[in-house]
Amino acid sequence: MAGVNLSGIIKRYGAVQVVHGIDLDVAEREFVVLVGPSGCGKSTTLRMIAGLEEISEGDLEIDGRRMNRVAPKDRDVAMVFQNYALYPHLNVADNMAFGLRIRKMPKDQIATTIAETAEILGLTDYLARRPADLSGGQRQRVAMGRAIVRHPKVFLFDEPLSNLDAKLRTQMRAEIKRLHNRLGVTSVYVTHDQVEAMTLADRIVVMNDGRIEQIGTPMELFNNPVNTFVAGFLGSPPMNQMKAQLTETGARVGASEIKLTGAINGNAGRDVIVGIRPEHVTLYPGDQTAALPIQLDLVEPLGSEALLHGRFGEDPVVFKTETNGDIAHLQGVNQVHVPASLVKIFDAETGRALRLEH
Amino acid sequence: MVDRNSDVGGIPIEEVVVEAKEALRDRAKTYTPDTSWTRMVDHFKREWQLYAMLAPTIIWFVVFLYKPMYGLQIAFKDYSIFRGVSGSPWIGFEHFEVLFNNDQFIRAFWNTIKISALNLIFGFPAPIILALMFNEILNARFKKTTQTIVYLPHFISSVIIAGIVITAFAPTGGIVNIILGWFGIDSIYFLTRPEWFRPIFVGTGIWQEAGFGSIVFLAAIAGVNPSLYESAVVDGANRWQMMWKITLPSILPTILIMLIIRIGNIMEVSFELVILLYQPATYETADVVNTWIYRQGLQSGQYDLAAAAGLFNALVAFVLVMTANTLSRRYSRTSLW
Amino acid sequence: MRKLSLTAAALATTAIASPALAEGHLRIVDEPLELTIQMNHRAYPIYEEDWPVEQKARELTGVHLINDTVGANMRSDENTGRTEALNLMLASGAIPDIVGSSRIRDFVNQFGPEGAFVPLNDLIAEHAPNISAYYATRPDIEAAVKASDGQMYYIPYLPDGKYGRAYWIRTDWLDALGLDVPETVEDYENVLRAFKTQDPNGNGLADEVPFFARQWPELIRLVTLWDGRAHGSDTYHDFLIEDGKIDHGYIGEGYRDGIANLARWYAEGLIDAEVFTRGSSARDFLLSENLGGSTHDWFASTSGYNRLSSEIDGFEFKAFLPPASPSGRRIEEHRRILVKPDGWAIGFENAHPVETIKYFDFWFTEEGRRLANFGVEGQQYDMVDGKPIFKQEFLDAGPVNRSLYQVGSQLQGRGYFQDYNYEIQWSNEFALEGIALYDTMDLLIPDFLGVAFTPDEQKIYDRTWGSIRDYMLERQQGWILGNGDVVADWDAYIAQLDDMGMQELLGVMQTAYDRQYGG
Repeated sequence: MAGVNLSGIIKRYGAVQVVHGIDLDVAEREFVVLVGPSGCGKSTTLRMIAGLEEISEGDLEIDGRRMNRVAPKDRDVAMVFQNYALYPHLNVADNMAFGLRIRKMPKDQIATTIAETAEILGLTDYLARRPADLSGGQRQRVAMGRAIVRHPKVFLFDEPLSNLDAKLRTQMRAEIKRLHNRLGVTSVYVTHDQVEAMTLADRIVVMNDGRIEQIGTPMELFNNPVNTFVAGFLGSPPMNQMKAQLTETGARVGASEIKLTGAINGNAGRDVIVGIRPEHVTLYPGDQTAALPIQLDLVEPLGSEALLHGRFGEDPVVFKTETNGDIAHLQGVNQVHVPASLVKIFDAETGRALRLEH
Repeated sequence: MVDRNSDVGGIPIEEVVVEAKEALRDRAKTYTPDTSWTRMVDHFKREWQLYAMLAPTIIWFVVFLYKPMYGLQIAFKDYSIFRGVSGSPWIGFEHFEVLFNNDQFIRAFWNTIKISALNLIFGFPAPIILALMFNEILNARFKKTTQTIVYLPHFISSVIIAGIVITAFAPTGGIVNIILGWFGIDSIYFLTRPEWFRPIFVGTGIWQEAGFGSIVFLAAIAGVNPSLYESAVVDGANRWQMMWKITLPSILPTILIMLIIRIGNIMEVSFELVILLYQPATYETADVVNTWIYRQGLQSGQYDLAAAAGLFNALVAFVLVMTANTLSRRYSRTSLW
Repeated sequence: MRKLSLTAAALATTAIASPALAEGHLRIVDEPLELTIQMNHRAYPIYEEDWPVEQKARELTGVHLINDTVGANMRSDENTGRTEALNLMLASGAIPDIVGSSRIRDFVNQFGPEGAFVPLNDLIAEHAPNISAYYATRPDIEAAVKASDGQMYYIPYLPDGKYGRAYWIRTDWLDALGLDVPETVEDYENVLRAFKTQDPNGNGLADEVPFFARQWPELIRLVTLWDGRAHGSDTYHDFLIEDGKIDHGYIGEGYRDGIANLARWYAEGLIDAEVFTRGSSARDFLLSENLGGSTHDWFASTSGYNRLSSEIDGFEFKAFLPPASPSGRRIEEHRRILVKPDGWAIGFENAHPVETIKYFDFWFTEEGRRLANFGVEGQQYDMVDGKPIFKQEFLDAGPVNRSLYQVGSQLQGRGYFQDYNYEIQWSNEFALEGIALYDTMDLLIPDFLGVAFTPDEQKIYDRTWGSIRDYMLERQQGWILGNGDVVADWDAYIAQLDDMGMQELLGVMQTAYDRQYGG
């Protein structure tokens, strides 16, 4: 088992720089998820770790050894690809054995490894089948099995669940989590799905435009996003963001004022963005809450909860509330109440979170 | 970062395909055959674009393949162009008796098989090997240049090819004999030696067609999922192993289909090249069914005899292609139909 | 003969044309009559209605030929033996009033009896005095034209002149090596050997090619130097006729000895090593590269190579008499054949067979023959001392044959009697000198003019001849190239040929010959 350390990793294609200096330390046995929108550089970063892309600048260490110029096969990593990369002409057992045969592992040893892994993944009955005869989930399992049999130091996952339907995805997600708990192999996982990131990760790395925006545990990132990008990326539905202005005592949002407990420290008059998580509002006033008048457009029932789509001034907002089994009473809602302590304030210009002393 | 996965409006291609299949299945379920005229008119109104697209192919088949089959009956007739196909009298299998009692026809038949077999053994793998070699060339400019060079002979007419071959293998001043001369080997009049005809003919065919034939295999290689190679790289495979274990198996269906087609054409030795290269002195190895037909049938206007030989050719090819197809379907799950 | 035909023509035409019109004695119809025609040849793919010759013929006869050629192409028909255009025409179902083509004989002799063409015997006898008069002088040619049912179905193109090919040698090389023109085959062998070994072109290399040929069957013709026979007519590998007996050159003992000697020559390098593959450019290449020593080729075209003397110092390529065989015999096997299988015929749908045969006959009148040979008076030629003489500017306008095709004369697809005078006027001095030399001796032998088969005979011919020919050629080339020894193989060879039906074939040919030529 080993850690992965990236420092100042830069990737250029000709004159175009796509990854602008990544610093990341993945601890031994840790499960780190790189998440971000399409084109943010997360896959490129993963492929640089795997050795499929050359590193233009910076250092990559695996298990304390510099790997920049080491061939992929000698990095002792295993990778699971988005489209599984199964060999269509080989059956499941041969697919899993491919890497082992290349490494000239003795035949009986290969057989036992395959049998064990198949057992773990529930593929024992399918070993003789070809990929074309498997379901999406089974193929996914074979792809993982192929990585597992190698007993690598590091697992690399490149959006492995994106080709599955929603239900299977949830199921496989849990399976990956269980596998990781069981095998404890250092893992780097790339996805664009924040739910996957939240559920799987020990730590999440949010990337945007070839840069790391924030690194932290899922709850750290959820509770304390460092900027509006992270705030908007994690959580479903995402955090509401409204233009506001700081006053001596709080933040003025449209006609309402949210009393803030922390010190404004003479920042009064500054343009900010107020961030409110949809699930943080209540329909009834409480201690330290500020009322926000909204214009309700639509109520979306989800069962135990409902989403309220509306507008606050110019800004569209979404709030989440409990239904208690009925949505009729929600139709007339015209204001929500925001607990001041849960409100986030971001600089309007830079998008950075402003730290307020509570 | 480049998104390597082809998708349609953000939906992975696999899902699109699945949806399309389901839609087709639904349509098949809801479609109830109805013989009523109005239904048929409705059907054509709705689907006429499909039929319009189908029409040229059907017309082509009917005009150029099915209608001429009518003329095959002259193989069993004493045919006269003036009397026409229907006006000529039936004579049964007389032409076939003439064929099978003719030693030269039998010889030509076996020559055809032998030349085709050599073509298959040496000529069929050549474009595959070329395609694999092209695939390993990393320098784009070098790759393009070499590809162009090996494609070129395909575009030269057989007459010119024959001229080049005759010149190259000439006993005096031919490049081949000049080179043999450097090693102290006496010059050989290759094109009059029966034992040299097949190697020269097959070699010429490879030189002419291997490059162009490699295009279909290159296309098949281009269709191999690149992540298979990446996965193999991570697994530690070298290029040689990737070629044997990924590229070749991945293009195997293409190879088999091409092989079946090739076997279907086994009786079609490119006879214009034979005619240009052979001599009475090399009839022993060079005379193939088509050149025999040409000399015996067409030169003396015996179209009926030529048709009989052609029909026999077609029968042999049909049996071969059926056999190849069945074997391929049974052992590799790949087949033409 | 010409006088006779003139009188006959005058007599014939008085019946229809007004006797008052002396100018119109050739006129066939008063009102213009349009007849459709198919005529395809590699040099003139269709019948051009604005050829001056056609225009003149319209003026003289009143018959207008209208081009209706199907499947016109420029392909040579040398290989298929008959033009594809003719087959296409038949397959199209409509046969024009007149069909003219080279290689038309076998075609009309097969399809004429089936009803596709009009039989001509009675028409000729009644309405074609000039053609009848010609046939009266040459019954052998009349016989050669007939189909197996005794009918004539086409009016042939009749070449004129005696000599076609001759033996040629580099006389300047002979001089350079101090040798005489070879008189016997032994001399000839010594000369060729000297060409090979004594470096007559003086470049220090033994690169001379003593004997070469554009068509390799011309090499086989050398067996006549050992009293063998090769080609019985101007068609290669053809049967031959000797004292009324059909035979084939390739089964004669003289042929065997000739091949044995040629194999020896080939092994010794006296014959072009690439003779079988060099092809039609052999003469052009070997002469202009100063490599070729001797060949057997046409008078007219070969003599033209003497123009190379401007590039190769002293170049002189002259005809010499066929060397005498060991038995002292000199023959020139090749000659201008008396009747070609070319000409024209009348399609079965023609509504005016009488006018058509009269029109055919027109080309055998003096005026018609001159028109067919020389073009139009005042345009291509002038009459000088009662003889047609080409205008100088016409002779200077490039290859004369091509120029004549372009005005519509010398068409092999037209049945006419050639006048060799047309060619003499533009043959160069070397050709004329050679012809004069050949005329000093009696070198020519009779050609085999071909036979017409009944359907049953045709079947036997079709079944046997192709295979026999292939086998003979295969062995022939093999022996010359040294794959096997002709003398040792000879008995087996003859036995194999008999096994393939050679005797049966000769029997059928003889039957057909006797029927046709009244043997």
